[in-house]
Amino acid sequence: MPSWRFPFRKRPLDPQYEAELCFHIEKLTDENIAAGMTPEEARRRAVLEFGGAEQIKEELRDVQRIRILETTLKNFQWALRFIRKSPSFSIVVILTLALGIGANSAVFSAIDAILLRPLPYPEGDRLIELQQVNQKVQRPQTRLAPPRLEDWNRLNSTFEGITGYYTEDDSETSGALPEKIKVAYVAPRFLQVFGVAPVLGRDINSGEEHFGGPNAILISDHLWRRRFAADPNVLAKQLRIHDSLWSIVGVMPASFAFPDRDTEAWLPVPPDAPYAQHREWGWFVAMGRLKPGVTVDQARSNLETVQAELGKQYPQTDADLTPGVVPLKETTISGVRGSLWMLFGAVSLLLLITCTNIVALLLARGTQRQHEISVRLSLGASRFMVVCQLLTESFVLALTGALVGLVVAGAASNVFRGLAKDFPRVEEIHLDGRIVLYTLVCSVFATLLCGLFPAFRCTRGNLSGALAQAGRSHVSGHTPLQWLLVGVQVALAVTLLGGAGLLLRSFQALGHVSPGFDPQNVLTFHITGSYGETVDLKKLRARITRTLDELRALPGVESAATSIFLPGVPNAYQNELTVSEGAADPNRKIVAETRIVSPSYFGTMRIPLLAGELCREDGNSFNVMVNRSFANAYFPGATVIGRHLQEPGNPLLPGGEIRGITGDAREEGLNREPGPAVYWCVSAPDPDPYYLVRARTEPTAMAAVLRRKIKEIEPARSVFDIIPLEEHLNDAFGENRLRTILLTFFAVTAVSLACIGLYGTLSYSVAARRREVGLRLALGALQGQIVKQFLLKGLAVTFLGCLAGWGLAAAFARVLSGMLYGVSPSDAATLLSVVLLMMLVAAFAALIPSLRAAHVDPMQVLREE
Amino acid sequence: MPIEKSDLLQGTLDMLILKIVTLGPIHGYGISQRLRQISKEVLLVQQGSLYPALHRLEKRGWLAAEWGESENGRQAKFYKLSARGKQQLKKEESNWNRLAGAVASILQTAQ
Repeated sequence: MPSWRFPFRKRPLDPQYEAELCFHIEKLTDENIAAGMTPEEARRRAVLEFGGAEQIKEELRDVQRIRILETTLKNFQWALRFIRKSPSFSIVVILTLALGIGANSAVFSAIDAILLRPLPYPEGDRLIELQQVNQKVQRPQTRLAPPRLEDWNRLNSTFEGITGYYTEDDSETSGALPEKIKVAYVAPRFLQVFGVAPVLGRDINSGEEHFGGPNAILISDHLWRRRFAADPNVLAKQLRIHDSLWSIVGVMPASFAFPDRDTEAWLPVPPDAPYAQHREWGWFVAMGRLKPGVTVDQARSNLETVQAELGKQYPQTDADLTPGVVPLKETTISGVRGSLWMLFGAVSLLLLITCTNIVALLLARGTQRQHEISVRLSLGASRFMVVCQLLTESFVLALTGALVGLVVAGAASNVFRGLAKDFPRVEEIHLDGRIVLYTLVCSVFATLLCGLFPAFRCTRGNLSGALAQAGRSHVSGHTPLQWLLVGVQVALAVTLLGGAGLLLRSFQALGHVSPGFDPQNVLTFHITGSYGETVDLKKLRARITRTLDELRALPGVESAATSIFLPGVPNAYQNELTVSEGAADPNRKIVAETRIVSPSYFGTMRIPLLAGELCREDGNSFNVMVNRSFANAYFPGATVIGRHLQEPGNPLLPGGEIRGITGDAREEGLNREPGPAVYWCVSAPDPDPYYLVRARTEPTAMAAVLRRKIKEIEPARSVFDIIPLEEHLNDAFGENRLRTILLTFFAVTAVSLACIGLYGTLSYSVAARRREVGLRLALGALQGQIVKQFLLKGLAVTFLGCLAGWGLAAAFARVLSGMLYGVSPSDAATLLSVVLLMMLVAAFAALIPSLRAAHVDPMQVLREE
Repeated sequence: MPIEKSDLLQGTLDMLILKIVTLGPIHGYGISQRLRQISKEVLLVQQGSLYPALHRLEKRGWLAAEWGESENGRQAKFYKLSARGKQQLKKEESNWNRLAGAVASILQTAQ
């Protein structure tokens, strides 16, 4: 046996060996002297008699040396041989683990990319999103006014810089056809705050950030490739937006996708422009970069001080405001955190089931190998060595499983990217070293989880006993442990299935709500408009009214309307209102969902008029419609029509007369009960509302016709985002759908695994008790009795597992409570059907081995005796 | 004729060492002396086998060792039997007796 020598190895024990052997030689010397030799002679003889001391020392070192490398190599060789010798067993284990680990790694890769990693900007954790907060109003958080942004940037001491942006969908008209591009209008210092530089050209310079300075624009990598075919000479070119030409000064890297992936250009907003001086107007989503070492709390208190000063300086506009300070990463990802961790929990349960399954397989396998293990132990192997060897086998299996799992994870995260395209940062998901490392950790974890227990279990017990019964019956019929494992698998599977069931039920419930409006055959789209148009509101209204009239005149169009929000897509816009004539109950605040729609909206959405008449728009005074909930909640038994509503603090909306009452519609989201709502009848509330067109037939067929019409009447504008309303509604619940699909998939996998576990254990038990069954059949037992016996055993274990699973599911359903609609987390009907489903599937899985047991041929068994 | 190590099964040497150590803490030299005396000079155990065996038994936890002063005042490593060593010895003794008995009866029958 070659021994591995490490020349640099420390030998702390050498002096001890030396002393021990020396003592022996001295004793021999003493002995020789006593026999009458001279001391020199005695010593010489003693050394001779003792033999090669160096050689002995080396042997002693060998005893102490833990031959990790050598033993490990040997164990790996054995493990590979073991895997080769039992390919079907190994393949089952490897594939099961590949599924379990692969699914886990795939979800982890999403969690890592979306939740764990810092934002993809240099020191992205120092980026903070800033808002102005006014606790005295209904919606306290608003965007930052440009002068305030500049004040904050100038007066604070904790940020390297503060900047901001807002986006607009604009028409770019330098080409043959107007083209829609999404433009981010940015405050100064935008790229400095992000710490990102253009890959081509330069940042916007300070001259271009001033009002009246040269027009400069940064474009995205995507626009550069799409419009300019990645032309390196693009910097000389210009884009035409809002009837002005903008010189391209830089191309951003492909990785820079802020505020989102669709943003194609960044335009500076000069802080000294006359239109940017109003402290009341919230424009910017602001963000700052913290100075190194500054905490979020320090930054917050610093900005609070700054804002308090501004409050004294501008009491009218600034006194009630405080800064809102939240890490940018937090505002980016907080929406999907719950779903992702829930999925991670689910895949971890799945991995646990996988491991439990494999524990059962290894235990069964270990019983078959009892003889081999006994022989090894009796030949002098220590239990530790055998355990190590068995663990190495599990590890090689787990590692192979993990490698195959990486392939699974790669495929799965592609699927995930497709399904979760609306998630933030989803384009950052990819398999890299961290994921590989995580997968390896998973495989070690799986090794310990799967291998440790069977390894100790199989090396336990009486050697001679096992050796003596070798060849007789390798297996024992008593398998309480395996049954326990089956129970655990069933319990975990029921937990997952319960969660999936609840999500499916709420998904179904969501599909069955009656929204109060009719989303079928409605096409939605935008026509580019710019905020510059708000300078002349009359002209704007004329444009939009004309567009609506032209749309209505199209063949196939039943009606057309505009709205600020899409009905049914979650978006709450609650406002406090006052009534000029006095409220019915003066102590009760009137709060209602506010919608701004064209008068044709109700007809287009088929929201019924219940009382009064439809609102009109004459350009002088405002008309308002309220829904039934509003009338019932705030004016029970009193007339509501003819009263005047006001939105205090909103100078843009003076009082409006209530003209009629409409039916309740789920405006704020399909998943919300309709509450009191107020519709302000304004066709042109802003230059870029949603257009809603009700077609007589399938709406997507209308897209081309619409485009042609708009081109004809508004050649400088582009039409974009032509999407059926139903698709919007689907997308709005995309995250919902994603987690439902994935959890259901995991649950189905878990149930399959649990059934495989049940099937395997029962088959094993049947094989172990073949002789007993044969004898009983020979003695006159009925086949039905045998089937019943095994089937009941399997079902009893499943049932107990289901009970435990019910408890677990009820406990874990709390995690889901925020994701459910129309079903309570402890919904008994769902859990009961989950248990029934599990029992049914388990019955099938148990039936096959039970039937096999009944077909044991007694003669055959007796002959084998 | 003295029996040397190569003829002695390793397990047997271990058993003999354990047996000798039952008598009380003893150093390596003492063990080799005892082996020789008790076996009436039949078993000659080379130090090259004795010390690795001692260390191996110590590592397995069957022997406990500590440094102490020998009869002539020098430092020596003394070995004594641990509780697990005691059990092991018992097991090996009974195995040995069974084996020896079986071998003996075969030899007798075959005569």
